[in-house]
Amino acid sequence: MVRLAHLWDMSRCVACMACVIACNSANFPEYMRSSNPNPQWSWLASNIKVWWISVGGRPRVLLTQCMQCDNAPCVKACPTKASHYDPKTGLVTIDYRLCIGCKACVVACPYGARWMDPESHMPNKCLGPECSSRIENGLKPVCVTVCPANARDFGDLDDPESSISRRVRESTTIRLREELGTKPRNVVVLRGG
Amino acid sequence: MALRISRRDFVKIAGTALALSSIPVSISVVSGFRQPSVSRLEAIGSQREAVRTFCGMCGALCGIQVVKVDGRIAYVEPLDGHPQRGLCGRSASTVWLWDSPLRLRKPLKRVGERGEARFQEVDWDTALNEIAAKLREVVAKYGYKSIAITHHDVWSYYMPLFSYLFGTPNVISHVGMCHASGTVARGHILGAGGPPSVDPDYENASYILFVSRTPGTASMGVLNRLRGNRKVRIVVVDPRMPEIGLGDAEWIPIIPGTDAAFLLSLAHVIIEERLYDETFLKYYSNAPFLIKPDGKPLTEADLVEEGDARKYMVWDAKTKKPVDHKTPGIDPDLLYEGDVTLKDGTVARVRTAFQLFRERCSKYKPEEASRITGVPAETIRRIARELALYKGVVDDTWFISKNGNDYDDVRAALILNVLLGNIDKPGGLCFQESARFPAVITVVTRDGKRYARTFYDVEMPEELFGDVGATRVDRTKYRATPATFDAILDAILTGDPYPVKALFVIGTTPIHRDMDVDKIKEALGKLDLLVVIDILPQDIVDYADYVLPDTTYLERDEFTTVKWTLHAAVHLQKKITEPPEGCDARSALWIMFEIARRAFPERARALGWRDEYADYHKFEEFEESLSEILVRKVADTWKIPLETLRKELEEKGYYILKSKEYMVRPYRVALGTPSGKCEIYSLTALGLGLDPLPDYRPPPAYPLPKADDEFYLVNGKGPLISAHALLMEPMRFFKHLWSVWMNPRDAERLGIKDGDIVELESLAKPGKRVKARVWVTEMVREKVLFTYSYVGRRSKLLPENHFARGGVNIHELNKAYVIPIVGGGASNTSVRVRRVT
Ligand code: SF4
Ligand code: SF4
Ligand code: SF4
Repeated sequence: MVRLAHLWDMSRCVACMACVIACNSANFPEYMRSSNPNPQWSWLASNIKVWWISVGGRPRVLLTQCMQCDNAPCVKACPTKASHYDPKTGLVTIDYRLCIGCKACVVACPYGARWMDPESHMPNKCLGPECSSRIENGLKPVCVTVCPANARDFGDLDDPESSISRRVRESTTIRLREELGTKPRNVVVLRGG
Repeated sequence: MALRISRRDFVKIAGTALALSSIPVSISVVSGFRQPSVSRLEAIGSQREAVRTFCGMCGALCGIQVVKVDGRIAYVEPLDGHPQRGLCGRSASTVWLWDSPLRLRKPLKRVGERGEARFQEVDWDTALNEIAAKLREVVAKYGYKSIAITHHDVWSYYMPLFSYLFGTPNVISHVGMCHASGTVARGHILGAGGPPSVDPDYENASYILFVSRTPGTASMGVLNRLRGNRKVRIVVVDPRMPEIGLGDAEWIPIIPGTDAAFLLSLAHVIIEERLYDETFLKYYSNAPFLIKPDGKPLTEADLVEEGDARKYMVWDAKTKKPVDHKTPGIDPDLLYEGDVTLKDGTVARVRTAFQLFRERCSKYKPEEASRITGVPAETIRRIARELALYKGVVDDTWFISKNGNDYDDVRAALILNVLLGNIDKPGGLCFQESARFPAVITVVTRDGKRYARTFYDVEMPEELFGDVGATRVDRTKYRATPATFDAILDAILTGDPYPVKALFVIGTTPIHRDMDVDKIKEALGKLDLLVVIDILPQDIVDYADYVLPDTTYLERDEFTTVKWTLHAAVHLQKKITEPPEGCDARSALWIMFEIARRAFPERARALGWRDEYADYHKFEEFEESLSEILVRKVADTWKIPLETLRKELEEKGYYILKSKEYMVRPYRVALGTPSGKCEIYSLTALGLGLDPLPDYRPPPAYPLPKADDEFYLVNGKGPLISAHALLMEPMRFFKHLWSVWMNPRDAERLGIKDGDIVELESLAKPGKRVKARVWVTEMVREKVLFTYSYVGRRSKLLPENHFARGGVNIHELNKAYVIPIVGGGASNTSVRVRRVT
């Protein structure tokens, strides 16, 4: 079994927004010129959200995207099984042929990782179409390759040889809001190895 | 032509694992990633091509690859292996640039008043002919030197050519508002030049102290190098937190304009705790030089008849005599203080430069420096000790035209590296290897006659030089300056030292670059001709008589050096696309030649321009041949087979000519300073009438804020900041760009909430007011407001509610101040804050 996941390293990120912007142009080119492409988040058409936070009085930035929960509330909430785990990768995936745009998943996601597409009226989330196509072809997702700070990685957590597994081993990491029992796969590095 | 063929021959990333493993471009991307056996997640049959090039969204020129999906430019990736590997949010926004609705698409001619931005579209011939006619008029009345050209990084390679083309010395860049003070200081202390000429060895450093710099967010290649170094500790000293502070860097908030006091205090601790590198100081710096009471160095000429005034004396502890510092086998005394008998029999009290510097630093004991800088004395002591313990390096700064006392900041920063002896060593402050790239023009003399010779081997005889030999306007005022555009404004306004009547603004925006927008506007109003060449409506466009649309970096070839690396390296930019439908953009090189061909045809011809190049396709062939010639010349210089260089450039996009060799300067090769050594006591500064030692002087550029509602207003760069990138749609959503930053404690004190609108009134120019939205953040020190550069747009060509109107253009609130002799400007200022909503 492969357990694909993203890693984002808070100790390396410089909030350059390359990943946020590239996610838009790669996955949602139709929304490049729109002034309000993602009304749900008041944001660009990107699957990455930026949170300016303060940790112990120290300013930090937190970047989030779909956490790839192994116990995903969105999948549970979906009345049509459009949101499902991909049988091969386990990634939370939307089958748009089944989606009825009811927003149950959008509401259910405790990370706010989904946003409604203003035209299709169906939810968007990471991975977007170009990134799905990339990983299928053995390439890392766009946000990972564009990062100049080496703050990102993507790969198989079950493969001890993968770069993401190595980084998890060598770093101090957390997963966000684990107390909810969502079993998020995505890793946040607090201190890099 | 070789370059042309493989340009079309894009690397294809087809959709099979087999194809991927055979293509280098994708191998580097997938390394470390085991291909998962996944089924199709979505049925997307996309075809990807990656074109290796370098980025042009800011002046740094990082290595990138532009990825096309099904023929559409879809995103940009860093170019693996490139010595300055991209990228950043600016570069990512390239995808929006090419077909931006804001793009200048046709030549424009002004029909309203300057500043009204009322234009009519004209064809190229009309625009160029009219500009040429006006230029001839101006030259007939005021001479060639009344033409000035200002620019930033784009097209800078060709600027000396434009200077000869138009017969004017007045090609004056942005540098006075960027790194002028640093560049002068680098020359004085290390005999070096612009910011990349020396740089920390980011890959190998164990500890880097950045003062007043946004490390690695304004040349992303630098960040990449820093992030590849897993052991480095990073400390940033700045009134606002540079973005790298969001990660693992330590941020030390400092009171604006007090960096020199902080740095000299570090030096004080390092000296008094004897943490300096004594051997380095003795043999590779002028610390042991004996200085006479008049401040001049003791030389052989002081001691014996016919003595050499360039032989600087040190006190040899072995022989107890003053000797030439270059004498082998001596033991120069760093702390000597005593009498020497001069050749005329008089006795002079001399002290070493080191003693003088030590005395200077003792003014800034940590407690005293703490009072000035707001940095706790304990922090100062700790940083000084860490620097010594880790054999750290102090960055040599970049954008530094801030407070009017910045020259001393950089001198102090450079001297710290000298004290630590960490010069040109792995992990230290290192000299960049020269790529020995051909200059666009060199003046050669043959049979007593001078010629301007281009790299493409065409020569123009001296009778066509026009006023090229005249003194540049800025150098008549600021002797040491690399470039001070403010002097051009003065010349336009006063005619002193001579009138400037025609101005070309190429790929730069003085209204967001230079101090005092009112002064700029007044000067622009007095010009006979203002031509702006750009790709987007920067504010300066509103004032132009003619606006000429330039090509973007995606639409032309360029071959040049890699800037932000210690290696000597070159890279190739490729034409990836034509300008979009309906956009009649032309390269600035073509534009300038075509204006010259119409205004001064003998000159254009003498510099190799043929009438047929008026046809843009013929010009593109010419442009491409220029790249070819440069590649050939570089191959010749470095004795690399031409085919090898071509092939490597084609396949990789870059070529490393020489890897960084450590321990060369000043150990084996003398520096470009008068003594050939690192000069903690600058003899060049002394010769210019400047204080030979750095000192802290309170910022002279603006009144210091005092009352509760008064603040410093400081500005800076970041990974999203460039004049072009800020106009791209994604930037709308990043509110930190379009707000003035305020510390939460100040906000609370003044009853201001996040998102409130405030009015800022300049303390430097009372009555001058600007409104702005506030972002309440811990990322800025108390009593300080921060704004990014290039925000607060006013161009009437932008839609009424355009997001780029947000934020504050700091130059609306500052007053021009230029450091005497050095020529660096000061962009920061001070304001009174009042809540509006
Ligand atoms: S993996 Fe792709 S879709 Fe997901 S956040 Fe990154 S760029 Fe966006
Ligand atoms: S690209 Fe990397 S450094 Fe830039 S915002 Fe994204 S994670 Fe952070
Ligand atoms: S720093 Fe960013 S915008 Fe500037 S050249 Fe590098 S990638 Fe391009």
